[in-house]
Amino acid sequence: MKINIARQNIYLIAISLFLFIFVLLFSFLVLIPQGKDYRKNRVELKVNSKELRKYQNFYDETEDTLKDLQKKHRHIIVAFDSKFNPARFQKQYKSYFSSLELSKLQKSARKEEFTTYEVNTTSQISSPKSFYNFLDAVNKSDWIIGVNFPIEFKRDGELIKSTFTMQVISNSKDENKTKIVEL
Amino acid sequence: MKYSYIKPRPKTAFTSEVKLLLTFFSITIFMLFSTYAFLLFKDYTFAKDLKHIQHLKAQLKIELSKMKDDIVFIERENVLAQSVQTKNLVLKDSITNLFDLVPQRITLSRAKLQKNALILYGITPNKDVYNFMLQAPLRSIFHRTYSSFYPAGNGWLRFVSTNYTDEELPMLEGELENED
Repeated sequence: MKINIARQNIYLIAISLFLFIFVLLFSFLVLIPQGKDYRKNRVELKVNSKELRKYQNFYDETEDTLKDLQKKHRHIIVAFDSKFNPARFQKQYKSYFSSLELSKLQKSARKEEFTTYEVNTTSQISSPKSFYNFLDAVNKSDWIIGVNFPIEFKRDGELIKSTFTMQVISNSKDENKTKIVEL
Repeated sequence: MKYSYIKPRPKTAFTSEVKLLLTFFSITIFMLFSTYAFLLFKDYTFAKDLKHIQHLKAQLKIELSKMKDDIVFIERENVLAQSVQTKNLVLKDSITNLFDLVPQRITLSRAKLQKNALILYGITPNKDVYNFMLQAPLRSIFHRTYSSFYPAGNGWLRFVSTNYTDEELPMLEGELENED
């Protein structure tokens, strides 16, 4: 039995087959793997975006906390960063004493971010109450100052001569920039 | 010589079937390539966005770490400042208590406060006043108390009271010493 197919039809079938195979191959070898990559990348991007949002939220919370702390402890932060100025100290606290003299500031200790300087103080007070008032006032000073031992009170006529050591603590993070003003 | 009365149709490779077929495949291929181009473009934008997100994340991480350090540092500063302020207040109370401890009949001429010791110089009308009114309370505070007397010109006695504690006085203990 002989099948008679027109030559034109054979061309038609051949072109159809060729195009069909091309479409199939393109789809399975190129398009579908690319589609898989697209899905994978989309999921990855979604996960990363979610993580970034979390980071951003945490960053905002931390920033708020830091700003609150900076606002709340502004005085302390400024005090730690301030250079100790003996002349200004004398001017501010002279009213508590009949006379007030400070020795040269000396570096006494450094631990991690803080440096402690010591200054010996000689003063005359009319009554111990002046010294109590000074201790109250020194807590509100422009520097972080701790009054330390040894402390000595000696009667000197109508006045009391007092000698004590003060420890000035400052932030040593940028010590190179911070130069203590010497007497 | 003419064999037919009808005009012959011009023969062409693009018959209506071929045209239909080509149109169909053209649309299919166009759609396939469009999809492929779309996927390529999206992959490119995803990669770009991912890179941007990772860059932002790295930046946020660095800034977060810096902020955390700042928070820790401010908290340390605050703790240290509070301890210094507390120490000053405790010192004030200690000195107030010391002067309150001295009775009216005894006059102090000198007082030395040290980390583990208190040395008092003064005059007392007699030993009994000193022993009952000053030494007794001092003994309750300090571990070791030594007293010595010298006659003063007016019949009173000059005294030197040296008092030691084996440990640092809790009321006089300071945070700064620990910092050293």
